Amino acid sequence: MKTIIFKNVSYSYSKEGFAIKNLSLELEEGSYIALVGHNGSGKSTLAKLIIGLLPLQSGEIIVNGLKLEKANYSKIRSQVGIVFQNPDNQFIGSTVEDDIAFGLENRQVPQEDMRGIIDEFARKVGMIDYLKKEPTNLSGGQKQRVAIAGILALQPKVIIFDEATSMLDPRGRNEISKIIKEMRKNMPDLTIISITHDVEEAYQADKVVLLNKGELRAYDKPSVIFSNEELIKECNLMKPFLLNVRDECLKVGLDIGDASSIEEAVEKICQSK
Amino acid sequence: MNDITFGRYIARETPIHHLDARNKLLMMILFFVSIFLQFNLWTTNLIIGGIILLFLFVFMLIAKVSLKDLFKSLKGMWFLVLFLLIIYIFLPNSTYTHVAFSIGSYNIYWDSFYQCGYILLRLVMMLCITMILTSTTKPMDLTRGLEWGMTPLKVVRFPAHEIAMTISIALRFIPTILEETKRIMKAQESRGVDFSHGSLKNKFRAIISLIIPLFVSAIERSEELANAMEARGYDPRSKRTHFQKLQFHFIDIIGLFIVLVIFGAVLTLFIIDHNFEVVDIINVIFGVEVGI
Repeated sequence: MKTIIFKNVSYSYSKEGFAIKNLSLELEEGSYIALVGHNGSGKSTLAKLIIGLLPLQSGEIIVNGLKLEKANYSKIRSQVGIVFQNPDNQFIGSTVEDDIAFGLENRQVPQEDMRGIIDEFARKVGMIDYLKKEPTNLSGGQKQRVAIAGILALQPKVIIFDEATSMLDPRGRNEISKIIKEMRKNMPDLTIISITHDVEEAYQADKVVLLNKGELRAYDKPSVIFSNEELIKECNLMKPFLLNVRDECLKVGLDIGDASSIEEAVEKICQSK
Repeated sequence: MNDITFGRYIARETPIHHLDARNKLLMMILFFVSIFLQFNLWTTNLIIGGIILLFLFVFMLIAKVSLKDLFKSLKGMWFLVLFLLIIYIFLPNSTYTHVAFSIGSYNIYWDSFYQCGYILLRLVMMLCITMILTSTTKPMDLTRGLEWGMTPLKVVRFPAHEIAMTISIALRFIPTILEETKRIMKAQESRGVDFSHGSLKNKFRAIISLIIPLFVSAIERSEELANAMEARGYDPRSKRTHFQKLQFHFIDIIGLFIVLVIFGAVLTLFIIDHNFEVVDIINVIFGVEVGI
């Protein structure tokens, strides 16, 4: 099943140049996709297009079998949620529970059902003890967790993280990546799209979409993309730490193979001695 | 600038927090009307104002709104008081009759001091009322209350919901914007901008260096917020359900009763004051001649 299909999508903010140029792409349902690229590569534009925050200029986008057009906006928005970059600017309610309720209110969920839903999803992101707290008393990571709960409560088919961790401290970042891991495990049907600068995070994804100056450069497994030195140099990307370790190991004649995490690599290195 | 807490919702468990937002709005209107009823004699005005203020202080204590915050926000008003005093003293008014003292041939009247004090008293009362309202009512509830109050106007296509939503978001973002202000001030200070010294012209320049980035960031913020709201399915035209129920409890009846009694008393006094010959209330109650 394909969740999101792009067909020859182009978008430009001004007459000079495209933000997205003739992009065709099919995203698999239930996968964890990292959208990477240098600044101005059109990553965030793509996210905004999917949910209809920017009007489609040319091409076609199909989300869960629904063609993206004005009449379908509200249906598509009920299936796709976005966690934005700035934790403060997406906290709409005055308390945690009000903020989680905001989306439910928009979907006209009956009042008597809300309490249960809010508690369930606040628990999932570990914010159950903070329901009555105001945003000023929360850390950035906690605010992002509330945003995730607010979106999961609507039971979307796709969740997009638009650089959701880039304004957080390392601790907040860890909290969010832990939640994403749990989501991958417990919600196999949920498609997760993560727009990120963090190559380490992208390396953990099922697939990586690599954009450069609005054009699709590659769509493949992270191990394939990041092994292509020329490509990542061209797109101004860093090499993931793990791959650097592997290459350095190879130089001294040590093969750690396809280790998928630092722990695994460490184990392999230790065993080989 | 460090801790402006004025008007921020503070989650506490007090009877006033539990009151229905609509009820609180109604009470606020009643109090405002009582404040603006003007009596014939200035002694009456000050005494009735003082009594209302006392009641407001009691409500503030019940609502656990800190009086310290009130005085903090009053501290910023000394300039206004000075300004008012100057205007009232130096603007000639033929109705003034009580000379306090004379400077040369120019008479300074007691009435100017009284006028100034009375305006200040009213301002303090209004501050108290809004403070009680906004620090005990969640912005979301306030929105609902306002929306409810403006529903009749929907008939004439008055955007009641949109206005209510705007107000509640403004309230939600007060602390965020204040934090931002502090951050920008620090950033500009570290670049050599001096906010607290120098001539008026330099100070004005310093303020500009604060205001412009603040506006830019506020506008960017609003765009992001609009995106986030839309992405979560917000549509001002479509129907919404509500998580928090506005409910009129028994405590609301008690609260409304108390406020209605105060309002009724002030109104009765006002009618008596205006329909009969001028009565010096102090003289009537205490038998003391104040000398008016």
